[in-house]
Amino acid sequence: MTIPPPVLAPEGVRAPTAPFARLGALWIQLTGTWCNLECTHCLNASGPTDPWLRPLAPAVVHHALAEAERLGVREIYFTGGEPFLHRQILPLLEASLVVAPTTVLTNGTALTVATADALRALADRARYSLEIRVSLDDVEQARNDRVRGRGAFSRTVRTLQLLEARGLLPIVAVTEILREETTAEGGLYERFHRFLRSIGIARPRVKIIPVFAVGRLEGRRAERLTDAALEGFDRGMLQCAETRVVADGGVYACPILAGLPGARLSSGSLEAAFRPAPLYHTACVTCHRTGMSCRNF
Amino acid sequence: MPELLSEHRRIAVFGGVYSNAAALAATLADVRQRDVDAVFCLGDLGGFGAHPDRVYPLLQEAGVRVMQGNYDASLASGRDDCACGYTDPRDHHYARISYGYTFRNTSLDNRAWLRSLPAGFRVRLGPHRILMSHGSPRMVNEFLWETTTPDGLLARLLDDHAADVLLCTHTGIKWRRALPAGRHAVNVGVIGRPENDGSTNVWYTVLTATPELSVEFVPVHYDHESVARDIEREGLPAEFAETLRTGWWTTCLENLPAKERARGKF
Repeated sequence: MTIPPPVLAPEGVRAPTAPFARLGALWIQLTGTWCNLECTHCLNASGPTDPWLRPLAPAVVHHALAEAERLGVREIYFTGGEPFLHRQILPLLEASLVVAPTTVLTNGTALTVATADALRALADRARYSLEIRVSLDDVEQARNDRVRGRGAFSRTVRTLQLLEARGLLPIVAVTEILREETTAEGGLYERFHRFLRSIGIARPRVKIIPVFAVGRLEGRRAERLTDAALEGFDRGMLQCAETRVVADGGVYACPILAGLPGARLSSGSLEAAFRPAPLYHTACVTCHRTGMSCRNF
Repeated sequence: MPELLSEHRRIAVFGGVYSNAAALAATLADVRQRDVDAVFCLGDLGGFGAHPDRVYPLLQEAGVRVMQGNYDASLASGRDDCACGYTDPRDHHYARISYGYTFRNTSLDNRAWLRSLPAGFRVRLGPHRILMSHGSPRMVNEFLWETTTPDGLLARLLDDHAADVLLCTHTGIKWRRALPAGRHAVNVGVIGRPENDGSTNVWYTVLTATPELSVEFVPVHYDHESVARDIEREGLPAEFAETLRTGWWTTCLENLPAKERARGKF
């Protein structure tokens, strides 16, 4: 399979690029865009039917983990879609934790008591940290469920409590999709810290994520980065300078753009994707502007 | 890559002084009893504590070989933050207070001295090629926690820098790991604040070539109450004093990985 060229910027000029510095983070797009929810602002338009990006076979993941270990990876993330829909999620997390600290991103609505117990056991056995990052967009049920789907809030809260009860200290990931509707005193952090304490989370950990014009929000902006706009900016600060993503179809530069031909850097090995990444997408503007990193902290 | 500095048989290494002159004095007194032939400080002289200028003469008079940490690099260059990279507003708030106070109370002479410090050291300890960094050899503010630093990364860093042993600090919690082929990584800990385990002592590290590498973590007890009172007298946050009195971290918690965070109180 040939690697598609970078998508050209609207003016017809080649997109600027970010250098590849190191393999800081390996992302595994485990379930592609297969998810039990269908959030209005989903970065990759995941949903329960006909995923446009297919889940990965376990062999592909094991191969990527082995290659990443050899290449000195610092941390590994599992995402989707909803990773806990994958039948092999637990053994794959266990294999990953042998290689490096591992984070799994989840909407927290499909996690059972048995799975929470298994995660506790995995975390205990592992030398490296297991992080569980749970998405929640508002502290009020009605508002959260308006963007994440009916019933999501109560199931996610229950999952947070299951994890807390097992000492797993989940990280709550909050997008800014509802920020403009928030009128309570204090910012999003304070609002979520208060809420999480109220449901029994003793040591809240919160990560705020900006809204990207991708996935179901694609098309709201047509802005693109240019070399002129990046003049004087250290492109090594962009997360694509130290991140690669294994997803169906190859290795990509960015977790948000995984599966898109313009972000694909290799159709085979991880190491072949160690080359500059085209900053061709409107999402690149958001990363540049906000300093966004998909890493935990 | 720093040039080879010297050859040794036994060395003492510490990081994170954090303006804690009493802990530094106690550490240096302990070191004098241990027959070491060199003492190294891996940086971050300021932060959290009161009267940052008091640690400089202690380090200089004892002949400690000091490198720049991220705090020192920020102070030396006049940067407006400590470069720890907190995004949590609470951590950011306390980090700004700590850095602002340290910046205002570090003399121009001492800031000039910080500018003169190297970013790393290479020494030989018996047969071992030792590389010392503040955060990591590739980034001064990279956190090498015990549970987020994979063996594969350490092997690569050692390969890239032609070293057998990596010494670092920056996180505030000590650890050591033996790697294949007789190689090692050691986070030497910090002497400026306790390591979030409910004990008030701090830690430094003695390394000896026997010729195998021997690593000893040494606890240091000091008058933490007087240091906590100085912090309060200077109007610094009570949380900084509380950490010294209780041994539990109260701020700068965001970057703690799950396992390290779970071991703490907050």
